[in-house]
Amino acid sequence: MKLETTTIDAVTVVEMEGNLDTNTSVDAQDYINGLIDGGSTKLLTDFTKVDFVSSAGLRVLLATAKKLGGSGGSLRICGLNEAVNEVFEISGFSTILEVFSSRDDAMQGF
Amino acid sequence: MIRLGEIAVLQATSVREARNKIRAVAEMALEDSVAATRLATATSELGRLILNSGPSSRIEVGIDGDAAGRHLYLDFFGGESNRRIGRLANFFDGLRDSMNDSGEAFVRGVTLLPGVGRPPQELIDHLRSIVEQKSRDELMTEIQTKNLELQESLDNLRQTRSAKDRMESELNIGREIQMSMLPLTFPAFPDRSDFDVHAGLYPAREVGGDFYDLFLIDDHHFCYCVGDVSGKGVPAALFMAVTKTLIKSRAANDLSPASILSHVNTELSHNNDSCMFVTIFLGILDVKTGETVFTNAGHNPPYLKRANGELVPLDQRHGPIIGAAEGLAYREDVETLAPGDCLFLFTDGVTEAMDEDVRLYGDQRLIDVLNAHDFTSTEGLVQAAVDDVWEYQGNAEQADDVTVMAVAYFGAVDDSGVHRIELTAANRLEEIDVINKNFNDFAEEHGVPEAIRRRVNLVFDELLNNIISYAYGDDDEHVVEVVISLAGDRLGVTITDDGRAFNPFEGVPPDTDLAVDDRPIGGLGVHLVQNVMDHVAYERHGTKNVVSLTKIIEQEDEGKKGEKPR
Repeated sequence: MKLETTTIDAVTVVEMEGNLDTNTSVDAQDYINGLIDGGSTKLLTDFTKVDFVSSAGLRVLLATAKKLGGSGGSLRICGLNEAVNEVFEISGFSTILEVFSSRDDAMQGF
Repeated sequence: MIRLGEIAVLQATSVREARNKIRAVAEMALEDSVAATRLATATSELGRLILNSGPSSRIEVGIDGDAAGRHLYLDFFGGESNRRIGRLANFFDGLRDSMNDSGEAFVRGVTLLPGVGRPPQELIDHLRSIVEQKSRDELMTEIQTKNLELQESLDNLRQTRSAKDRMESELNIGREIQMSMLPLTFPAFPDRSDFDVHAGLYPAREVGGDFYDLFLIDDHHFCYCVGDVSGKGVPAALFMAVTKTLIKSRAANDLSPASILSHVNTELSHNNDSCMFVTIFLGILDVKTGETVFTNAGHNPPYLKRANGELVPLDQRHGPIIGAAEGLAYREDVETLAPGDCLFLFTDGVTEAMDEDVRLYGDQRLIDVLNAHDFTSTEGLVQAAVDDVWEYQGNAEQADDVTVMAVAYFGAVDDSGVHRIELTAANRLEEIDVINKNFNDFAEEHGVPEAIRRRVNLVFDELLNNIISYAYGDDDEHVVEVVISLAGDRLGVTITDDGRAFNPFEGVPPDTDLAVDDRPIGGLGVHLVQNVMDHVAYERHGTKNVVSLTKIIEQEDEGKKGEKPR
């Protein structure tokens, strides 16, 4: 999985590419933890180039949301394809995490 | 003072229960939840002080009221030290050492309640019911006492009940074991269009050790059998259980009924001190060719009802009853079924059913029923046969178990246009990527829509991760077999592993309504798999776990490809 970060205003945008699954979730978690430890509080993960997300990937998002929420920050997610969106729906993550259809929507008022 | 009851404080858990009860009492009496929480906290503190100080540790709860006001009394018995109580004084409106009429010391915490005069009876009753509610510990003690009593009365019963009664209860236990071993869900293979099976076992009140089994050995070998164990009660039921288990585990790696039964016979005959035996008809149907191989070991010959209406008895004999003599080699025969043919298996409970004049049902009547029946479904045939037995029997008592089974062959599914790949993965997590990569190539080659492909990627990630991480108790290398097939709009996946027996679909689904902070991490994967696929199933075949999954590719999925998520 490829991870790239850009900072727009106070928002750290993480663009992910590939699968967020069993074999990539540990690295993704480390990467995101690094960003949070480096002071990022507003995190936007852009899933436009993510193929599929498994429960291992959901765990990363949940842990990130908890971590950010605990320190007054927050996590937003955008760009889910249909299969990923279904996973979010089934798991209830679409209601407990802040999901937006596009990056622009997600940046609004962040 | 009006006594409301007492709460024993004998274990750490009872302190917690006392706390909860006092909170409930205080909430009701004080109508102030903050004050109620304070009292609950004080109860925990004092409860811990009196805990472990002897069997009389308890909290007595009382209430009173007159023109001057109302009070709630919490009397803590059992604490020998009052030194630490002082700091709890501000939890109460009054806290003092006291002694009851029997000379027992206690600490009394008094709380002022709103209102004046004697508390209304309704309130008193309500508070009493809260205090008197049985705690878990009390219930446990009570249950243990009850169990002891029950055991005692059972012992008495055992000695005094007549031999007949005892036999009956043993028969019932045997019956329960027998029935619990049968596959009872029909249709047994709802996603198969190439064959169908239905069976029914109707137990007699006393005698009878019938059983049947039906299972797929692999994708196209269907194993079916009907048998009858000599004897009755628990020993017969256990003998049946062993027989059934031996057959099933042997069949996992052996497609010859003769070889399976020769093996089972040797196992069962060895040290068979009880001299029990079993008659059995065992067949394996290859649903690709319609060929069924079968061995009849001392059982009633089944009938083959051809699609053209012809009725053929399969009356070859391949060896004696199973379990009587070691080292026998059974034989087998082959019969080819044409689409629309149906096999009818039964036990002697059918042909030896008796009417009110004690006349046997007989083979001819069964032949007549099978001839007359216009075959439409296996269930219909089973029902027709059994109904006729009941009609014949009238008010006579059922003498023996009645078991019938119908196996219908509908012809191989047209597998031109069926695409299939077989993959294997070692038990390393990196191998998941290899399977997904291979599947993606397959999906692309055969035009599986992206949205479906991604869901199946998820399924592999979840299930292979589970198997690789949790299925093996050793550090050895294991192989996971993955078969992917695409037939028309049906995408099938089978994952086979030789790990410990585990049905992933048995667990409780996670609560997906919880908020972020309440969400436990984990437990989601299988839930996702069950929801993104249209059909999931688990079976244990011998030493292997087999998970089968189906996804129906709907046409609109194609259109959804470029669609934006909601």
